[in-house]
Amino acid sequence: MSGNALLAYGFILPSLLVFAVFMFYPLLYTVYLSFFEWNMIKPVKAFVGWGNYIALLQDPLTYVVLKNTFAYIVILLLLNCAAPYILAFILSFVIRRGRDFYKSAFFLPSVISLVVGSILYLWILNPISGPVAIIAKFFGITIPVWSKTQGLVIGVLSIITTWKVFGYNFIVLFGGITGVPQEVIEAAKIDNVPLHRIFLDIVLPMSSATGVYIFIMTIVQGLQYVFTPIKVVTQGGPDNASSNAIYNVYQEGFTLYHTGYASAFAIVTMVLFVVLLLAEFKYVEKGIYYEN
Amino acid sequence: MRIDREAQWHILLGGALLLSLLPIAFAIANSFKELSEAYNNVFSLIPEHPTIGNYLLVFSRLPLGQITANTFMVALAATVFKTVTSALAAYAFVYFDFRGKNVLYFILISTIFIPFTVTMIPNYLTISQLGFRNNIIGVILPQLSDATGIFLIRQAMRTIPRSLIEAARIEQAGHLKILASIVLPLIRPAVVSTGIMFFINSWNEYVWPVLILKDKVNYTLPLALQLFISSEGGTDFTIAMAVSVITMIIPLVLYLIFQRYIISTFTSSGVKG
Repeated sequence: MSGNALLAYGFILPSLLVFAVFMFYPLLYTVYLSFFEWNMIKPVKAFVGWGNYIALLQDPLTYVVLKNTFAYIVILLLLNCAAPYILAFILSFVIRRGRDFYKSAFFLPSVISLVVGSILYLWILNPISGPVAIIAKFFGITIPVWSKTQGLVIGVLSIITTWKVFGYNFIVLFGGITGVPQEVIEAAKIDNVPLHRIFLDIVLPMSSATGVYIFIMTIVQGLQYVFTPIKVVTQGGPDNASSNAIYNVYQEGFTLYHTGYASAFAIVTMVLFVVLLLAEFKYVEKGIYYEN
Repeated sequence: MRIDREAQWHILLGGALLLSLLPIAFAIANSFKELSEAYNNVFSLIPEHPTIGNYLLVFSRLPLGQITANTFMVALAATVFKTVTSALAAYAFVYFDFRGKNVLYFILISTIFIPFTVTMIPNYLTISQLGFRNNIIGVILPQLSDATGIFLIRQAMRTIPRSLIEAARIEQAGHLKILASIVLPLIRPAVVSTGIMFFINSWNEYVWPVLILKDKVNYTLPLALQLFISSEGGTDFTIAMAVSVITMIIPLVLYLIFQRYIISTFTSSGVKG
């Protein structure tokens, strides 16, 4: 192919520069900071070796946060990976009319700020005056103060996040599923294979490359998206019951100014993500079906 | 009465859709109601006594014109820079062969999976040292390039036959000229929808501005909206709804105009090769 290497690097240079300054350098610097005790203001950083990592392992809050993170992951996978996958399947192969309309309409909330989403749901689910509470009262049910209820709070914050992320995941999964030949599905239908078997035995394996991508994005991006409702609605409360691994780093870094500790926590989170990704790849690599 | 299977599915899908779209309709409707009406009749989608009082009140309480201008400047700068840098990089990855190409591409794309917590502390320090804290330039700087953009534009460029580029090379056309006058026009839908998504995402960006911006005059819209959140939902929620509408109106309009492009770009962005 034409062109020389120097010119190619010239084309990539602007992007590379931005990534170097705001992605690769900070990544390394966070690793460096994780070995120091510092508060972003003091002129001298005190070297503490593995001290922050040991402190992190000994802090009971770490395990609360990791447990919450796991709960978020499970809920987000159900709502933002499994549910849009099934919806994409229904739209592609089960119904015949209105496909384009549904695609546009389901994607719509994806373009709206999560702060808007948070404020809308705070009001809709307001336990006293919100629309849901009014309907529930009609049936004699009272809505708990969810933002202050352990366990419940993670569910509601996940739903707020789902409202935004669902549409995007759905569209990408829909694209992955269109790679499955229509004839295969029609043949299965003629043989009276039940819909759930068509989904599990044919569609899922044949669109697994996209499926794995959304699976990973749901975990990695999902936990970052949840940050916004946590920050604006609960600030991690009540009693850290809604904090996750992402929010905790913010809390330690920017409200408590434990810069070194926050850095160590960020690195541990990233390592956990990488391990998760590698495990996922190893697990699915064999059965994966690449569309082309 | 028997309902056929297709209709049953449409009822189910319609219900799901209502759940996701009704909140938006409620927000718009209640932003035009007086507080008393909103409390007495939350569910009506058409205000009995429509008023723009909530909007006027918001503008008197906050420098909302300035805040909207800030948001626009940030989103526009991010969009222009990201689109240009992504298109340049994508072009190199598709039409040049050079040492380390695949490794470099892999490294750039993997950054999509790096959580922002890993970079936010050093980036905050960098922006502070440059003197851009509490300044929208500090918000813009880390948003000058985008891995997802490189990925999406590269995917689109790969659909252009290489022979077309080779023919232009034989005619002595420079690479920048080929990119601008042959490649970009051919993949216009992908570039436009990627650009629109850059704009919308930057418009909605919350995490980074909240770290950098301190004074209300420098705020972007999501930060202004956050001022109206109290954990109980707030007593003056009609005002909060007005700010919500101001925050979401631009992304919504852009989406409604470009939805065909956007949907088709993301539908074809499934992992392929």
